[in-house]
Amino acid sequence: MALKFPWSGKNSHKDDPFWEFFINTPPADLTNTVTELIRNAPAGNIFPNKAELHTPEITSSHVKGMAQYFGTEMIGIAKLDANVPSNPDQLPFAVLCAVHADYDPRQAKGIGGQMPVQNGLFITFVLSAWIRELGFRAVVARDANVDALAAKAGLGTLNGSGRLVTREFGAGVYVADAIYTDLPLAADG
Amino acid sequence: MSKVETPTPNANGSAEFPTPYLGRTVRIVSKFENVDMNQSPHPKNQRGELGKPLFNWYHNTVSKDPLTRVSAPNHFADRRHFLSTVVNQAAKGKINPQKVPVNDPAAMARHIKAVAHYMGADIVRIAKAHPSYLYASGGGRYVQDGTAKDEYAASTPEQMARKFPYIIMATTAWDYNKLQAHRHLIGDAAYHISQIKGNMILKALEGYIKELGYTALRGVAVPQAVGVASGVGELGRNGLVISKEYGARVHMPDPIMTDLPLVGDEPIDIGVDDFCKVCRKCANTCPTNSIPVGDKVVHNGVEKYKINWLTCYKLRPYVHDHWGSCLTCATVCPYTKPKTWWHNMATTSLHYCPYVLRPVLVKFLKWVDDRFWGLVRNARVTWLGYDSGVKPGEHACTVAGCNASHEKAGAKAVAGSVGYYAPLKENTNRFVKREP
Repeated sequence: MALKFPWSGKNSHKDDPFWEFFINTPPADLTNTVTELIRNAPAGNIFPNKAELHTPEITSSHVKGMAQYFGTEMIGIAKLDANVPSNPDQLPFAVLCAVHADYDPRQAKGIGGQMPVQNGLFITFVLSAWIRELGFRAVVARDANVDALAAKAGLGTLNGSGRLVTREFGAGVYVADAIYTDLPLAADG
Repeated sequence: MSKVETPTPNANGSAEFPTPYLGRTVRIVSKFENVDMNQSPHPKNQRGELGKPLFNWYHNTVSKDPLTRVSAPNHFADRRHFLSTVVNQAAKGKINPQKVPVNDPAAMARHIKAVAHYMGADIVRIAKAHPSYLYASGGGRYVQDGTAKDEYAASTPEQMARKFPYIIMATTAWDYNKLQAHRHLIGDAAYHISQIKGNMILKALEGYIKELGYTALRGVAVPQAVGVASGVGELGRNGLVISKEYGARVHMPDPIMTDLPLVGDEPIDIGVDDFCKVCRKCANTCPTNSIPVGDKVVHNGVEKYKINWLTCYKLRPYVHDHWGSCLTCATVCPYTKPKTWWHNMATTSLHYCPYVLRPVLVKFLKWVDDRFWGLVRNARVTWLGYDSGVKPGEHACTVAGCNASHEKAGAKAVAGSVGYYAPLKENTNRFVKREP
């Protein structure tokens, strides 16, 4: 094991002969990935009794705290227009979670390169299930404009190519699927 | 430095599989029979063999708590909200026909550990397979997806250990601060969320091994045995594997058995054997007196502390309204501490302490733990809307700045720093007596 200084940055895994395979080789059978099966899992029912909520500001902080416990590194809530085509159910809010990405999941197609996607799916699956168990609607959807929504929710700004750039991670960030919900929240933007 | 103990001269071993050394806490001393998974607590209960209250608790109760309905292995309103169901019932992927050649098993062992850590696992260790770590053949194995399609069902444990020489244990730890509110929904959150995360990591790791071109089997190895053999930790008086970094606050999930060329790890010595001889904190605080105060016994050929799993299990329906997982023995264990330099210093000093001096060191460390952490935990923990200061069964909104009108709130405001952990020891002594 190489000596590691606090300032030597992230582990580059240069001494690992199999790391390249882990990050970049696309899986031969997608059934071997967790991402596919979580993404394709059907959403459950909404619990019939609505949970007692606090004020929208407190509910927002609880949603954020819960998502952080599930592993999200950035979270914001965007207020939605009811009339946009990406929001056919006309839900008022979108919850946006983002995690850091050491490798861009659009290029790195290996199981390791897709790790931000896997982490994001874990967060959105459990968080949306929890919102439905609170008695409210929660729809997980992957839109092309998810980065723009995240920028709207105050996670960062968009660069020239429409990708999210954040204070903490720069462009090395992956925005998980948006959770559209009618849970009464206080939007960040 | 501690002297090396030799394994017991062959009790159950053979020339090919000599009796394994499992550290100082567990010893295989006589004839050992492989465990039939179907005779373990949950399957027994699923068949209704433990009585109606437990059967109904397992199958027919829905939790009042939304987070429990999402994260606990039962008590959900909708099974589709439970991630482990989704993950474990998924179709199994094919093994990649293009094998990645492994010339250096040590590099591959490092790689698999790095991969599991990258996926979010907290402790990853590898055990060299031994027949005694495996469930019995012939349908005795635990099949995750419930379809009971096990290609190797007829193989004996010896054949399995020959064909798949390594077992990988990748595990997640529970959040320390939330665990302090054990016997409470907050403690449940620490346990259950890391459990579903761990299940997902293991599924992803299993898939990755198949993508490397090797077999990855689940549900064939006994987690506790693998945990001890691979050096995740040592077996404590409370029947839990106690690790160096996290103490008892780690899951022992279903390990992965594989033919991927790896290098096995050795059992560790962090002085659990010496500590458990003296400490007995878990035995004294167990709400059901299920943990022995006496010495180790030989059970199924294995010398270890034997807990009474039935009385432990039987508490659950009585407390279902308030919480799901007890976790008391894990919480009070002096090894269960945050991952800090002083905890590392304590376990490291136990590791390097000569055996003869260990009782003294243990008594000192236990005194420190009693003094600073306490004999039992009754600290008040708040997390999001949860507050362990609110008595079970009562409703009170303790969220600062909340001016919403609550239907059920009406209970007096909670003050003080004492948490309420039901049931108290006095209450449970009535229905589970300590054996004389």
